[in-house]
Amino acid sequence: MEQTRAGEYDAFVAARWSVLFHLARLLTGGDRHRAEDLLQESLVKLWFVWAKVADEAPEAYVRKVLARAAARSARRRWWGERPVEVLPEVAAAGDMSATVAERSRLEAALAQLTPQQRAAVVLRYYQDLPDRQVAEALGCPVGTARSHAARGVARLRRLLADVIEPVG
Amino acid sequence: MDRMDRTDGYDALDGMAHGERPEYGERRGRPDRTGPALGTGRTDGAERTEGMDQPDRFERQLTRLMHQDRQPAAFENRHREALRAGVRARRRVRAARRAAGSVLAVAGLGLGLFLWPHGRTDDRPTAPHPRPMISPSPAPSTSPSPTPTPTPPLSPSAPPSSTSTDSPTPDDTWTTSAPPSRTETSATATQWPPSATAGSRDGSATPPATATVSATGEPPDEPTSAISPSG
Repeated sequence: MEQTRAGEYDAFVAARWSVLFHLARLLTGGDRHRAEDLLQESLVKLWFVWAKVADEAPEAYVRKVLARAAARSARRRWWGERPVEVLPEVAAAGDMSATVAERSRLEAALAQLTPQQRAAVVLRYYQDLPDRQVAEALGCPVGTARSHAARGVARLRRLLADVIEPVG
Repeated sequence: MDRMDRTDGYDALDGMAHGERPEYGERRGRPDRTGPALGTGRTDGAERTEGMDQPDRFERQLTRLMHQDRQPAAFENRHREALRAGVRARRRVRAARRAAGSVLAVAGLGLGLFLWPHGRTDDRPTAPHPRPMISPSPAPSTSPSPTPTPTPPLSPSAPPSSTSTDSPTPDDTWTTSAPPSRTETSATATQWPPSATAGSRDGSATPPATATVSATGEPPDEPTSAISPSG
């Protein structure tokens, strides 16, 4: 029984690792190491509830744990995020491809948001969740989740104005 | 690359397969709206919130960017090992917490049982302390005798005859108390300040006092001479 459970868990993690890691990376504003830690922590929590959620929605559980941990990470010391006036990473012409440059700009812009805004934006625009489910994942009222997402997008508009071209 | 390029295949929270995803307007429960494009002044979050119906160009581009930059990340052995190590560490932490909780529960239970009153305790108020038969000070309120008697001023050198004349007052006091026994007599004798007065009282008032005197093992000659005035 334990072997079966462990096998199912390993198969799930191996199959969903890439997607979940990308989500964790967006939620952490591009911090790869912290994304790994966050995902690791969430998957460890998943192991202890695997018997309950294996047949239902294990990925939703991991997503919720990830989003909540990322949203409250501002209160933890190891987070160490501090807002700056100028984006720390600017794509240099010639040393990166356009895709990598866009990714770096996006991650740097996401890092400028507050953890709550970033989590709301990522859940909404990457996970395509409606406001109600974003609020449920973040554990806050719908209006609060909507406000976080709206303010986050408004800030991203300013930060990514030169990356996302306006309509001509 | 569009957001439909995702390979995860299902959305567990929504409970739908990937292909069953509704479009933006349906998914977010808003009617269609063709919003202004990026850079047209819609930078206020409040404006965006109240009229948010369908994603504008910026939101579509943002969605595209978020899905575009996904890097393939394989689940490597180091990830597996780290995951197992994390599970073991968390299991140890949980076991330690459980053990600590058990120890605290047992300690609390033991402390509660220790502080619980043992056996049967007498919660009734205690009886008043025994008062002296005759208080040394002539206080009329505490003295049970109807008239305060000047017994304490009696000196041991007083003649027995005078003691026998004043004997009614101690005699009344004696009758209000418990019947005299050998132990009580001795206890009462300790309460009387002058031993000579006690001896004269015992000798003159009650015969059990004679028994008390004889019980002390003294020669019978002297008590006999002490009793003789009353007899």
